[in-house]
Amino acid sequence: MGAVNTAVSIQNLSFSYEKKLVLHEASADIEAFRLTVILGKNGSGKSTLLRIIAGLLPYKHGNINVAGTELKQMSLHHRARTFGFLGQKHKAVFPFTVEQVVLTGRAGFINFVPEKKDYELADKALQKVNILELKNRIYTELSGGEQQLVMIARVLAQEPQILLLDEPTTHLDFNNQITFMKLLKEFTFNKLTVIAVLHDPNMAFLYGDDFLFVKEGKLIRPKATVNPWDTEFLQSVYGHNLQAIPHANRALIVPDLQQEIQHD
Amino acid sequence: MKNTKLLAIVLYSLPIPVILMSLFTGPSEMASTSSIFAYFKDFLISGTAGKAIDFQTIQAILFEVRLPRILLAFLVGGALSVSGNSLQAIFRNPLVSPYVLGLSSGAAFGAALALAWAFIPVQLSAFLFGLLAVAFSYFAARKHKSLSIVSLILSGVIVTGIFTALLTVVQFLSDPFKLQSIVHWTMGNLHNASWKLFNASAFPVLAGLIILFMMRWRLNVLALGDEEALTSGINPVRNKLIVLVAATLASSAAVSVAGIIGLYGLIVPHMVRMMVGPDNRQSTLLNFLFGGMFLLIIDDFSRTIAGFEIPVGVITMLIGAPFFLYLMKKTNIGWEQ
Amino acid sequence: MHFGFITRIIAQIRKDQLLSVLLLIVSLSFYTCVNSHKANISESEVSFSVTDFRGKALKFKESPKRIVCLIESALSGFYMLHAEDRIIAVSSSVYDDAVYNAYAKLDDRIENKSLPAPGNWDFVSNEHIVALKPDLVIMWASQTESIDAIESKEIPVYAVMIKSTADIYKEISDFGLLTASEKRADSLIQYTKSELLKMAEAAEKITKEKQKVYFMWAQGPLETSGTNSTVNELIEMAGAQNACTSSDEHLVVNLEKVIEWNPDVIVMWFDANKNPEDIMNLSGWGTIKAVKDKRVFELPSVFMCDLWTLKFQYAAKLLSAWSYPEDLANIDPEMEKAVMLNKLYGRKGEDIE
Repeated sequence: MGAVNTAVSIQNLSFSYEKKLVLHEASADIEAFRLTVILGKNGSGKSTLLRIIAGLLPYKHGNINVAGTELKQMSLHHRARTFGFLGQKHKAVFPFTVEQVVLTGRAGFINFVPEKKDYELADKALQKVNILELKNRIYTELSGGEQQLVMIARVLAQEPQILLLDEPTTHLDFNNQITFMKLLKEFTFNKLTVIAVLHDPNMAFLYGDDFLFVKEGKLIRPKATVNPWDTEFLQSVYGHNLQAIPHANRALIVPDLQQEIQHD
Repeated sequence: MKNTKLLAIVLYSLPIPVILMSLFTGPSEMASTSSIFAYFKDFLISGTAGKAIDFQTIQAILFEVRLPRILLAFLVGGALSVSGNSLQAIFRNPLVSPYVLGLSSGAAFGAALALAWAFIPVQLSAFLFGLLAVAFSYFAARKHKSLSIVSLILSGVIVTGIFTALLTVVQFLSDPFKLQSIVHWTMGNLHNASWKLFNASAFPVLAGLIILFMMRWRLNVLALGDEEALTSGINPVRNKLIVLVAATLASSAAVSVAGIIGLYGLIVPHMVRMMVGPDNRQSTLLNFLFGGMFLLIIDDFSRTIAGFEIPVGVITMLIGAPFFLYLMKKTNIGWEQ
Repeated sequence: MHFGFITRIIAQIRKDQLLSVLLLIVSLSFYTCVNSHKANISESEVSFSVTDFRGKALKFKESPKRIVCLIESALSGFYMLHAEDRIIAVSSSVYDDAVYNAYAKLDDRIENKSLPAPGNWDFVSNEHIVALKPDLVIMWASQTESIDAIESKEIPVYAVMIKSTADIYKEISDFGLLTASEKRADSLIQYTKSELLKMAEAAEKITKEKQKVYFMWAQGPLETSGTNSTVNELIEMAGAQNACTSSDEHLVVNLEKVIEWNPDVIVMWFDANKNPEDIMNLSGWGTIKAVKDKRVFELPSVFMCDLWTLKFQYAAKLLSAWSYPEDLANIDPEMEKAVMLNKLYGRKGEDIE
């Protein structure tokens, strides 16, 4: 893992809400142009980590280095050029058209009103997620899956180098989850770095390239000698007895029913 | 889409005929359309200024009485509508109006104070207390450099309560003449319009409106949410503050010269949105044109419907509210719950 | 959403609490109903009766000795009748700057601020009034809630409503009856009527064309009175004509109507914050004849020109002097004022400035 290929480098990052320590001297390098998935239990701090990188939460202790610049030192504008962020669930209030929503992704680069170039980039972004035909539809009238695709197009219109996604598939049905994960994978082929928080390890292992686990305030990876779906390692993260079922060079993780029920 | 465009063209061009029509509408028979046509007819036929037409009086009525009032009505209506629209966008809340942060009660208290004890001009006092009330709400709601919309609206409710109580104290201490002036002021009216009032209010109103007009597209971004704005390179706190200050400036100045025109800043933005959709890039200017025009038409009624002046605030309630309810039933107001 | 919140709060109130509150309300209203029956005096005891402006006949065993007068203009009537000893409380308006100095000259108790003021034309402390144990309360007929509350405590209320000079005469003659000074009341009325007759005679000799007067209340320059008002009577007594042609008692007019009426004279009600120069400088008023001719005048004081008392004749005299300065050059307002104060208030009246 050479320095050239590192998109985001996290060193000794600590973070707490009021008095609750969430991250404690966490360190990790995230490689460029790959789909990195952050996994962990609920409340482990995986969303917090993503939101710190997105600039939504200010950090005091530790360093986050992005292409040679400390995150704290980056201007809003610089950040908008580097990161695109998609939150868990967006609650729309106004019945904007899809095009108007996607255009807002250009906010950081528009002084007063969007210009021709911005409209072109919005079209291009809609094309990338294959929903150009929704352009003039009302956002609030779309299905949940379509809305999520619009929001990812909005982030793409921003032309970021790194995509940050916080549980992007949580509210999608099975079909849309597959569409969405495939899209993320495609993005990495087009020179985009994708960092996603997922709660479902199976979706992660099926589509992800790298895996980062948040446990007790630390960022950990399985040893280089074992697979990420190594049950012993996963058991240490999730605290349940798990079983790995091999599938297409990877594995699906299911609870080890025998062991689990005996325990109860 | 075609319908929307046609509607927009109509809305953009309608203010001119409405202003002209208003200029020839009023309680005075002398300056009505028919008598002015008669004057021109006499002039063309005989080549002389017809029979005993008091040109000076007509001129005074048209340009000293009606024109400043028309422009003031337009400016006030436009300011309240644009401010209401902008605040609804940044608060992401359909119930918001320029009065939500205590502006109206602060201004009413300031006006009452000046009407009762006359230490500074009524308009200046209303303007300053309107700004003070909003600033008070803002700083009361600010916590750890962040601003929650719910606490802002709540502190607005509290500030409104305080200033309403203070207003009652002033009313309690006033004699019947002053009390009646205070009550008239709070009902909202434009009958004191003059070039002096217009000149005094035009600067703060236009300054606020120009800022809001420059922010018109950015309102779309802020309307999407704080996180969305921040991660796409817009500082939501700073931008919202700019919108808040500009909207307060414009609507305080409007309230200071016209009193409290109820519901106006709440209803008009919804009407415009029902007509042309939520895109603030388009609706900001249309809110000014439609809001100005609509208040002008209402004020035309207020000065001609009876032999006396009916407070315009009363008519905005009586005409505006049912019209709004009708639109709300008929079209989809489009707010997600 | 908001209504849901309220209904939830209501739902939280326990049913038995609600019931007890309802019971309390019912029993209180029953109590007041029963109580109000006692207010009658038996027919044989009645020595005289007075009908107030509501048309209600007030019956008295004897002339009331303890009177609370919550109307400032009506209070003046008691000083004119020399019956001020019966007054035990006044309107708080009496202590306002505009009239205080005048009343202070008429009554030491007002000068020392020792006369209680349990209310005014708007707010009334029923408790304070009951505690004063009055035989009679005088207040505006529009204060219906307070009247009901006071009458329910068996205290008679004389309600006043003044719409014309005839009402002013009725008021002073009723007060004469109430305070056993009918003769004084009659002589006050006769004096005023004779002064008005003199004015009417003078008006007949006026050669100048009838002047149009625009009357301006203190609420604002566009607030005036129409043909059905005391102000209109006043203007006509002065031999002039009201510029406002509407019939309303009080109304707000449009400036363009004022420009169209083009009055010869503008008369302002006394206003501590404005003077005639301010009116002449108002934007848009420049083309009006009265402004061009600088014939804008202000009535000099609230006390002296009170239109709801017999003092209205002084305002009428000022109006005629302002309307016809050439024809009525021999009228000296200061003299007129001094004579009137002496006639109405007696010797004490001469000290009022």
